[in-house]
Amino acid sequence: MTTRESPGLKPLVQVDSQGGIAGSGADDLAETRIAAVLGLKQFTQRPVRTLLVKGLAGTGKTTIALEILKAAGKGKGAYISSRVPKELLEMQIPAMQKTLQNQEFYDIRLEDATTALDFVIQLTGPKKVRTIVFDSWDGLAKELDHKERLRAEKTMMALANNSGAQLVFVSEEPGATTIDYLVDGILELVRVEEQDRAVREFIIHKLRGTKIPQHKYLFTLLEGKFTFFGPYAIPDYSKVDKFVRRPDIDGSYSFGSGALDRLFGGIIPGSTLAIEYDENVPYPALRTIELPPIINFLSMGRSAILLPLPGANDERTNSILTKTVGKSVVSDRLRILNVVRTSDLETTEMLKNVTPNEIHEMVTRETTRLREKSKDKSVLLVKSVSALENLFASDLDSLLEVTSQEIITLAQSHDAHILFLAKDSPIRSRILSMSSSYAKLFVRDGTVLMFGVKPHTGIYVLQHLEDPTSPSLTQMV
Amino acid sequence: MQGWSLNSLSATSGTDDFATTFANAVHGGLDKVLGQSGRAAVLTHMKMTSNLPDPAEFHKKLLTLFGKEGTLSLERAIVKDLVTRLKWALDLLSIDGSFDFNTAMLKIKKGMKA
Repeated sequence: MTTRESPGLKPLVQVDSQGGIAGSGADDLAETRIAAVLGLKQFTQRPVRTLLVKGLAGTGKTTIALEILKAAGKGKGAYISSRVPKELLEMQIPAMQKTLQNQEFYDIRLEDATTALDFVIQLTGPKKVRTIVFDSWDGLAKELDHKERLRAEKTMMALANNSGAQLVFVSEEPGATTIDYLVDGILELVRVEEQDRAVREFIIHKLRGTKIPQHKYLFTLLEGKFTFFGPYAIPDYSKVDKFVRRPDIDGSYSFGSGALDRLFGGIIPGSTLAIEYDENVPYPALRTIELPPIINFLSMGRSAILLPLPGANDERTNSILTKTVGKSVVSDRLRILNVVRTSDLETTEMLKNVTPNEIHEMVTRETTRLREKSKDKSVLLVKSVSALENLFASDLDSLLEVTSQEIITLAQSHDAHILFLAKDSPIRSRILSMSSSYAKLFVRDGTVLMFGVKPHTGIYVLQHLEDPTSPSLTQMV
Repeated sequence: MQGWSLNSLSATSGTDDFATTFANAVHGGLDKVLGQSGRAAVLTHMKMTSNLPDPAEFHKKLLTLFGKEGTLSLERAIVKDLVTRLKWALDLLSIDGSFDFNTAMLKIKKGMKA
């Protein structure tokens, strides 16, 4: 699985095909991804010389400050801590142990502002230190009155300007303080609740002399590392390769994706999985959930029926399926039934007068036909409810009736059912109540997120880090 | 030192008087710009908490830490503090003319001796 990668960008932390966490690329991450997004190239090349990282307790400020230190300090950094001793910090953020060991560490928990400033002078004076992280400055600043604080902050800015050193201030004061006006850049880390789950977000409030294409990004602290997510990137389908089939998991069908299998534990025969999506979820993100189970079913010698999502490019779908499982398999054991395309219906007259029941009968006939070709007589039915809703907008009751009947019938069989429905579907709640499992996809800050409602799962970022047809899911922690 | 006048200084003129006045002005000037903690940190770093060197050496040390622009601001603050203490006019600080710390100090020293 691969994403459309920008030059120099490395894959982020990902759940690999075997279930482990692979290829964090953390070393490169600090060097490239953070720099690219935060304008740290400017941070290291002078225009942004002072940066304020703020946020409430537990939002990841120290981790990001250490990542910046690692990237910008290049071994010539210093960490001034007024909160925790080095040993404790190494214990709390083990992934940053090496970074902490490679930089100078000053514990000033019992020192006053004068001594802290003297440290800064000593570190910047001989120009030996490139980057200094002050974690946290406000801990000391609170001991000063307003004027004194402002003057002390101005002193540090002047020292930084003259020496060329970069100063990163970590602050737990979420509101604007005197230092906000003095620093070149402000980064705020927040934890927001999304669908009853916590996600982390950073906001770039200011970055002098730097173009900010996007102000907010999601990030995770998985494995104690700061990993941020850019907007969803459409996969490069030219990299589609032969598919390696995934065997059944303890009697359940595989989703054809390690990430999905781990999230949902496979597809139980006779079950219906409902996938609900927001209107702004890009189609390729949905396709990455839609196609792997079909590909895997076909690879396992089984059959499948697909009623594509509205707006699906049938040519692309066919091309992906042909590349992954071969033309003969596709023509023999797969039926793509586009209900809004006249040629796919049995007669052109049918489109004008077709009823949900007729579509249902047609699907049943196809299922019976394909069942005979399936190795173990099981068939996967992947169906877009949205496409049917569009077709039967004036007769949704019948559509609901037929869909319910299908779910009930299927529960008695060894077939599997995946339904895609839009968040604003008028029959959404009825279908969800009948589904055995239920997952949601939505977009925040341009990033596609996914989580299971039934069963309840954590929240994951959906990307394409290896195979363009399969999702890579990275947990938000 | 508060409220010293040129006349009163003249009466007790000498190198020691200038050194004391200069030291107080340095503290006062730096306090105004850097704050007490900033001033204390800078002077500690310069090893000048008790004895201040001559203005030329002080100027060099400030340059190292704050660069040309920063040093100019600090020196102007020191001179301003000094002339305020001496109740002199602030002609020395005119932003139109070029400001030179050493020259300003020499003028003040000379004036104090007169």
